[in-house]
Amino acid sequence: MPVDQRRINGPEVSVPYHIYSDFDEKSDKVKHDFSKRSDKRTNSEMRKIFLKIGIVSQAKGSAYIEMGNTKVVCSVFDPRELSNKNGYCTQGEIYCEFKFAPFSCQKRKIHQQNAEEKQYSLILQRTLEPAVCLHEFPNFQVDVYVMVLDNAGSSLAAAIMAASTALANAGVPMFGLVTASTIGIYGNHYLMDPTDTEEAICNTQPDKEDDFNHGIITLASLPQHNQISEVFLIGSIDTNTIKQATEMLTAANKDICPVLQQCLVKTIMKLHNEKK
Amino acid sequence: MEEYPPIIVRLAINRIDLNLIKNENVQPRIYTPGEEISSQPDFLRGHGTYVDDENTLRASVAGVLEKVNKLISIRPLKARYQGEIGDVIVGRITEVQQKRWKVDTNSKLDSVLLLSSVNLPGGELRRRSAEDEQTMRRYLQEGDLICAEVQSTFVDGSLSLHTRVLKYGKLSQGIMLKVSPALIKRKKTHFHNLESGASLILGNNGYIWIGANKQDSDRSEGGFTQDLSRIPQVNREVCARLRNCILILAQCNIQLTDTSVTYAYEESMKYKINELLEPEIMIDVSLLTHQRLIQQ
Amino acid sequence: MAETVLSSGEKIFILHGIDADFRNDGRRRCEYRSMEIETKLMPQTHGSARLHIGNTDILVGIKVELDVPHADKPNEGKLEFFVDCSATATPAFEGKGGDDLATEISNVLTAAYQTRNAFDLKTLCILPHKKCWKIYVDVLILQCGGNLFDAVGIAVKAALNSTEIPKITAATLDGGEPDIELSDDSYDCIQLDTSNYPIIITLCKIGDNYIVDPTLEEEMCSTSSIVMSMLPNGKISSVVKLGYGSIQFNTFTKMLQMGEIIGLRLNKTLMDVLKEENQFGRQRRIFGFLK
Repeated sequence: MPVDQRRINGPEVSVPYHIYSDFDEKSDKVKHDFSKRSDKRTNSEMRKIFLKIGIVSQAKGSAYIEMGNTKVVCSVFDPRELSNKNGYCTQGEIYCEFKFAPFSCQKRKIHQQNAEEKQYSLILQRTLEPAVCLHEFPNFQVDVYVMVLDNAGSSLAAAIMAASTALANAGVPMFGLVTASTIGIYGNHYLMDPTDTEEAICNTQPDKEDDFNHGIITLASLPQHNQISEVFLIGSIDTNTIKQATEMLTAANKDICPVLQQCLVKTIMKLHNEKK
Repeated sequence: MEEYPPIIVRLAINRIDLNLIKNENVQPRIYTPGEEISSQPDFLRGHGTYVDDENTLRASVAGVLEKVNKLISIRPLKARYQGEIGDVIVGRITEVQQKRWKVDTNSKLDSVLLLSSVNLPGGELRRRSAEDEQTMRRYLQEGDLICAEVQSTFVDGSLSLHTRVLKYGKLSQGIMLKVSPALIKRKKTHFHNLESGASLILGNNGYIWIGANKQDSDRSEGGFTQDLSRIPQVNREVCARLRNCILILAQCNIQLTDTSVTYAYEESMKYKINELLEPEIMIDVSLLTHQRLIQQ
Repeated sequence: MAETVLSSGEKIFILHGIDADFRNDGRRRCEYRSMEIETKLMPQTHGSARLHIGNTDILVGIKVELDVPHADKPNEGKLEFFVDCSATATPAFEGKGGDDLATEISNVLTAAYQTRNAFDLKTLCILPHKKCWKIYVDVLILQCGGNLFDAVGIAVKAALNSTEIPKITAATLDGGEPDIELSDDSYDCIQLDTSNYPIIITLCKIGDNYIVDPTLEEEMCSTSSIVMSMLPNGKISSVVKLGYGSIQFNTFTKMLQMGEIIGLRLNKTLMDVLKEENQFGRQRRIFGFLK
């Protein structure tokens, strides 16, 4: 991996001190109490969503989303013509860039995209492609930039929703809004909208239990069309659990959709009222 | 519950050599690039050769020697397609340009198909208007397959095509295969309507077209109105079997003619179509076909 | 991916064929092409495999090296995947052309092997905080003729199965410095426990149906596909959707079910064949690329 020479990166070997301080607590994580969540939610409850559009004045469209402590900002810029590398494309393209702010996670991130961020960029792109009327702007490319300011779990789902609202705000023609949600699975516990600590727990498998479901599923859908636009699953889960979890996620995505709609409508109404 | 077919994983140890058929009697002299052909000065330098500082004629490609009087040339064993006027070719549109289409024909350079050398819908004598120029993509767009004849060759070796005969034009439903152009001999006819019910075009350029419906061979409107209706299962099976048979022949380096394809098709009848992808069966079919071709 | 554009006639023909459960080469929707595998063919590596399915040709080489464990996971080793879409496969991969696909494939592999249920990184630890094994899995795509993900998944599993890690006879801390002694006998090796390694299944959605093991032409007709990794114990370790299309919820669950059945069968067949190959022992002839 070539390192960007123009920036001064921190010492490469530095590590956050947390890993030493709560090394003893780590064993406690396994005994995590699933009947009570740290923020007093029930297991199937999502965090409150706060959504605002048009917060970046320079961008064609932008959105800011907050889910608990997860904060994501997204901006969409004017379409620009594709360089003529592969000849004429009859379909437009979406280019996505997903980035964690350097201070957003427990461990500091460098300015360059790492493998995880690159993967999330690709996922974001595939999530949005089914929703956007790509045939309406042939040979053009729309850039979508997502920055996670604070990662407190489910940041990919937040990013997807921010991006879809920002696209709508930018006036890009779309078949429908994209909503997304995350579920963490640990044994027979289903944790909707997990926080970062809960995500970490769901990612690890307890010792000596082979037949144990654990993992994280992020599901993005077009609720107005009953379509799944992207699934991203990681862990070790059997098919029935996946089925059940995706059902829960689809229902949740349907519930979220009005939030996005209202946010868009209210912003317009506000402008309309101000004109009067 | 649906029945799933078995998955076959083979080991390299059990790999089978598909090139079993050899002609023991004929052992052609094959030249390799840089090899000396002649140091006598009384020759004319042909294709695939060059003359070095010491006036020696050397080969520049791997192939066999061809001598016409004093002209010495080397015919490469494996080459891209070299077009000749009158050849029947199958090609794919790669680009739409001003008044012309660029066509991939497996030759060194892309071939061109001029707007003036296609039959547009509405009769042969129709005049081409400026409107036609603007709607060229409606007739043929990138990716479309055509069957055409070589009208002329340019100095740089690129070809100019035409489709102004009813049998040429845009191709509809079917399968396109790519084989080495050396496997296809120039023949009187390259259009074959096989007894099995499919139409076959053996393009001189090594592109082969298996057409799904026979009625399609009438391209009076240039083939621009396409029949995209469902093909009956029987025809589909014929096409798939033909496809696999042609690939077997190509893999075993057997010349592709309507007879060899028909023989292979007949010999393959004792197997299921999907079995024809297995190496053992490919060998069996190719050997049987080869024998029948020799007996002829 | 290699750009071949199909005409609408060809696309329709493929589409209707899949609808009738009869593909262009005579296969059914759920049928794989037969594949050929060879392991331990590269003497410089600790484990290697080559897989051939249709025109797709994958070579995997595995190198094992010593490293220091991550500070936050002191008793775990490391496993890393690198995929190289070389320009020898198709000119489309030239320069940075294959990068996106390469990241995609290595991401899927990383996700598939991430759970401890599949690959226990703790087995790679030699001395906690000090020394561990790092396994580099390098995947080379020599030819691509469709269905890259499945082919890479099988090849990687076969290569890991053939991997031999040198045996460590003594590992001690000598004044804070790790001291490691390797076995003198180079044949004295540890094999990885591959019993629960995942394989990757791609289900390609074409029209209203979905197929396994698509050819390049069939991939051209598809707008979306599901790539899932299946563990032999029946668990799914990763799922991701590729392509620009979307999928209905019902279709999605059906695809998962089909993938599960086929994945388990493919895995069993693969392991049987690898066992058979292993029986030939070290004197087995290596075929490699000749003949």
